[in-house]
Amino acid sequence: MNKIISFLALFVAALLVAYSTIFVVDQKNFAIVFAFGEVKSVISEPGLHFKLPPPLQNVLFLDKRILTIDADEADRFITAEKKNILVDSYVKWRISDPKLYYISFSGEERGAKDRLSQIVKAALNDEITKRTVREVISGERGKVMEAIRGKVTEEAKQIGVEIVDVRLKRVDYVEQINNSVYDRMKAERLRVANELRSTGSAESEKIRADADRQRVVLLAEAYRDSEEMRGAGDAEASQIYAKAFGQNPEFYKFYRSLEAYRASFKSKSDVVVVDPSSDFFKYFKTPGVSSGGSNAVKSK
Amino acid sequence: MIGSFLKRIGVTLSLNDPKWGRGSQNNNQDDKKSSDSPPDLEQIWKDLNLRLSRFFGQGGDGNGDKGKNFNPDPVNAKLGVGAILLVFLFVWLVSGVFIVQEGQTAVITTFGKYTHVAGAGMNWRWPYPIQNHEIVDVSQVRTVEVGYRSNVKNKQARESLMLTDDENIVDIQFAVQYKLKNAVEWLYSNRDQDEMIRQVAETAIREIVGKSKMDFVLYEGREKVASDVAALMEQILTRYKAGVQIANVTMQGVQPPEQVQAAFDDAVKAGQDKERQKNEGQAYANDVIPKARGEASRVLQEAEGYKSRVVANAEGNASRFKQVLNEYQKAPVVTRDRMYLETMQQIFASTSKVMMDTKSGNNMVYLPLDKMISQADASSSKANPTNSLQSSILPSTQSVDQTPSVDMRNSKEDMRSRDNRDSRDREVR
Repeated sequence: MNKIISFLALFVAALLVAYSTIFVVDQKNFAIVFAFGEVKSVISEPGLHFKLPPPLQNVLFLDKRILTIDADEADRFITAEKKNILVDSYVKWRISDPKLYYISFSGEERGAKDRLSQIVKAALNDEITKRTVREVISGERGKVMEAIRGKVTEEAKQIGVEIVDVRLKRVDYVEQINNSVYDRMKAERLRVANELRSTGSAESEKIRADADRQRVVLLAEAYRDSEEMRGAGDAEASQIYAKAFGQNPEFYKFYRSLEAYRASFKSKSDVVVVDPSSDFFKYFKTPGVSSGGSNAVKSK
Repeated sequence: MIGSFLKRIGVTLSLNDPKWGRGSQNNNQDDKKSSDSPPDLEQIWKDLNLRLSRFFGQGGDGNGDKGKNFNPDPVNAKLGVGAILLVFLFVWLVSGVFIVQEGQTAVITTFGKYTHVAGAGMNWRWPYPIQNHEIVDVSQVRTVEVGYRSNVKNKQARESLMLTDDENIVDIQFAVQYKLKNAVEWLYSNRDQDEMIRQVAETAIREIVGKSKMDFVLYEGREKVASDVAALMEQILTRYKAGVQIANVTMQGVQPPEQVQAAFDDAVKAGQDKERQKNEGQAYANDVIPKARGEASRVLQEAEGYKSRVVANAEGNASRFKQVLNEYQKAPVVTRDRMYLETMQQIFASTSKVMMDTKSGNNMVYLPLDKMISQADASSSKANPTNSLQSSILPSTQSVDQTPSVDMRNSKEDMRSRDNRDSRDREVR
């Protein structure tokens, strides 16, 4: 009985001692061992570690992982061309020197964040006032971030912090400027729309004009070819006539004259005043042979 | 002594509690064990209480009355304590069993230090406080939504509006899908991992959009922007040792801000208008040119027809002339006279004529020519309809006639009557 009790007592005592002297450092943490408030040692290796029981020694854990400062509100900055912009950034940082960090902020993460925010904001201000909006947004965004990181790294080192990254998230105009941006965008779209419409009508006109031109050309060419053809026809006809009529030009003259007379006087509205002494009327008066007279033919 | 006992019990319980809790939390498969175990635990607890109270009672008694109960009890107590310890040991060891689902990975730490990773299936580790495990879902695709929450319509203006290179504002909603590629890095490199992904997504998209022109972002460059964002995120996350792989960046919505939406729509419409106008022009061209082609070929055909006609006419005329000439040459004088007389007959028959003996010397003859002409017109127009019938019935008899024979004939009759009239007129005068 006594044995059991004493065994148990011993066991409990051992457990108590173990509990106050053994501590576990997580993979995610640093541990700082204090002896009466003095930093005795910094443990960065995770695993099982020993210390003297309190109140001789105490242990404090600090986060080893990458931490973030991400302000809820974007800060206002003024650029080189005196424009107000809102810049939202975040900082990735981690404790690099737990002892220094502890000394600076007595382990309070809040304090560290405030301090870092200030540093970053100052650096941002420095960099942004040097640059135009456009540079901050696009051209030199990388450079701005790089410069800020460079600046902040130095200062952060003094408080035991390593800056992993500083990145800009939002870079926007303040609301009033936004509205004028919208107005400008609208105007720009209007310009594009008008341009599209007018080039559309110009192109349409061009196509129409081209069509008209083609039509005119087609017709003109057709006219030319047709006249050529008509000319060829006329020429051929002339040739045929010449060949036929050339056989007896005198008879042709007679033949053709008769034809012409006939064609000229064929309607009742043509009035012929006839002299009865003409050859045609030779037998009109007398049936005998007479000397030839002259024709007097008159048209209206 | 009582204190230390209580402490021991307390310690034991505190050792057990979190472990059971974790066991049932982490694994559903543990349910069997955990649902079985609580009654067990209670049983043990009851047992323990019973035995303890008996033990204390005996202890108290033992002081006064040692000899009486001593013999049977120590054996009992020893046996009891040993059994309890064994049960505790067993339960403690069993609490190291955990089950990892397919697609998950368990990260095991020994005294807080990462030692190894366990895959899917049933696993065992040293129980608390020696080892610990954390189960991470590796294969699950996680999503972070930027610019909206759960529905694209539920926009977050602060996240979605961003400036482009040409200082325009665009409104972008997108989702990032990612997987873990390294559970250890995921667990131990960063705090607030999910928030970190969102931050990285935001900074990446703004950097990419900030480098691009608005039209590029809005229209042709969407895919490019998405892939650039994915690449940049990957790069940043590698620097943070996040243990994350970006599976996909999907653009949910890329549009101009609402304030200027109307103007943009109009511009798009203008593009359509332009196409429409062009098409209309083309339609006009397609209408006009073929028609012109048709017209041109008509003109050409007409010319061809003309040529054929002229040549044929010429041939006809020439042939006729040649034949007449042929006959003429056989008997020139007679033919000549005949032709002349026939022609003159025809002429005089069809025209109005006035015969005057000019040799009489009286030049002052009054001829109402205009009246005669108008009369002739009137009578010819009157006479025509009736005579047109005749023309179709009566065959032409005059071979030399060039003009239609019918006209000749009826005009002849007319002429006669008119002649009479005319002469009467003159006589009256």
